[in-house]
Amino acid sequence: MSGRDQAPLYVESPIIMTTVRVVAPFVLTFGLFIMLHGADSPGGGFQGGVIAGSVVMMTAFAFGIDATREWIDARAIVGLTSLGVLTFAGIGLGAMALDGAFLQYDVYAPYISHASKYGIELVELAIGGIVAGVVVGLFFVLSAGFGHADGGEEA
Amino acid sequence: MTPSVLEVVLLVFVLTSALGAALLKDTLAAVMAFAAYSLGISIIWVLLQAPDVGLTEAAVGAGVMTILLLIALANTVRPSEDQLFERVRPRTVLAVGAFVLVMGATVPALPAVGATDSPVGSGEVTDYYLDNAYEETEVHNAVTAVLAAYRGFDTLGEAVVVFVAGVATLTVLRTEAFA
Repeated sequence: MSGRDQAPLYVESPIIMTTVRVVAPFVLTFGLFIMLHGADSPGGGFQGGVIAGSVVMMTAFAFGIDATREWIDARAIVGLTSLGVLTFAGIGLGAMALDGAFLQYDVYAPYISHASKYGIELVELAIGGIVAGVVVGLFFVLSAGFGHADGGEEA
Repeated sequence: MTPSVLEVVLLVFVLTSALGAALLKDTLAAVMAFAAYSLGISIIWVLLQAPDVGLTEAAVGAGVMTILLLIALANTVRPSEDQLFERVRPRTVLAVGAFVLVMGATVPALPAVGATDSPVGSGEVTDYYLDNAYEETEVHNAVTAVLAAYRGFDTLGEAVVVFVAGVATLTVLRTEAFA
């Protein structure tokens, strides 16, 4: 797959693989915690998204970038990013459809309890999705090297 | 207000690593100095009671930026350098020095760290957010309340900027998937 003639980027190491296997679920949980708990403590979608995205990078360092790329559906990354933008804009425009101002969360109150709190947390999740998707995407694009992309063999 | 030992150590560390990032000839060393700089700055943000900013700086500046730069370096040829530092032209030193002097001259005009009578601490807008954020948005973190509710439209813009950065990358590379 890679036509580099330098030393390979990936060296298989049981220590790194085991560490990542143990640590990755905790890092992902921590990222989600930062995203969801941004409402009550420091944090939010931007920070949590980066932390969640770093799980994929950890996996790539332990198991190889190409293996990770095959494991993750490329459409999922673009989908996650687009879904984030659509969710955020959807919450904002939905409030306008219910005769409120843009992103006026309390117009959802008749339908959902604590509409404002959950609305803000959903927005944070949406931001986290955008950030995580773009961070992972840039990582894959960069690690593929610039020679790979214009051939179109992987697109 | 006299700075504590920790603050002095951090400031020296940040300044040294910033100079290192600018002056080191070897790109890998410069990237490492840049990561150290980001880490130092993020601890300074926490000391200044801005944990939200500190968290972002640590995650983005020290974490992801370093990884992306390292991957970029791994994809390029790194010439071996025989000298440690970049040669600096006197003209550059003069220009940068003058800029630092001008910026430094504005520092005494700033309110002291943690001063309660500063415009930010006593402003009408700040008071409004602190008094009403919980009742109006049901979130305890006033930063999040401003970010996602009061200034939500700005934040949508920021999130879309990140999205557009991803789309622009794909457009430049003429592919449709991050792969």
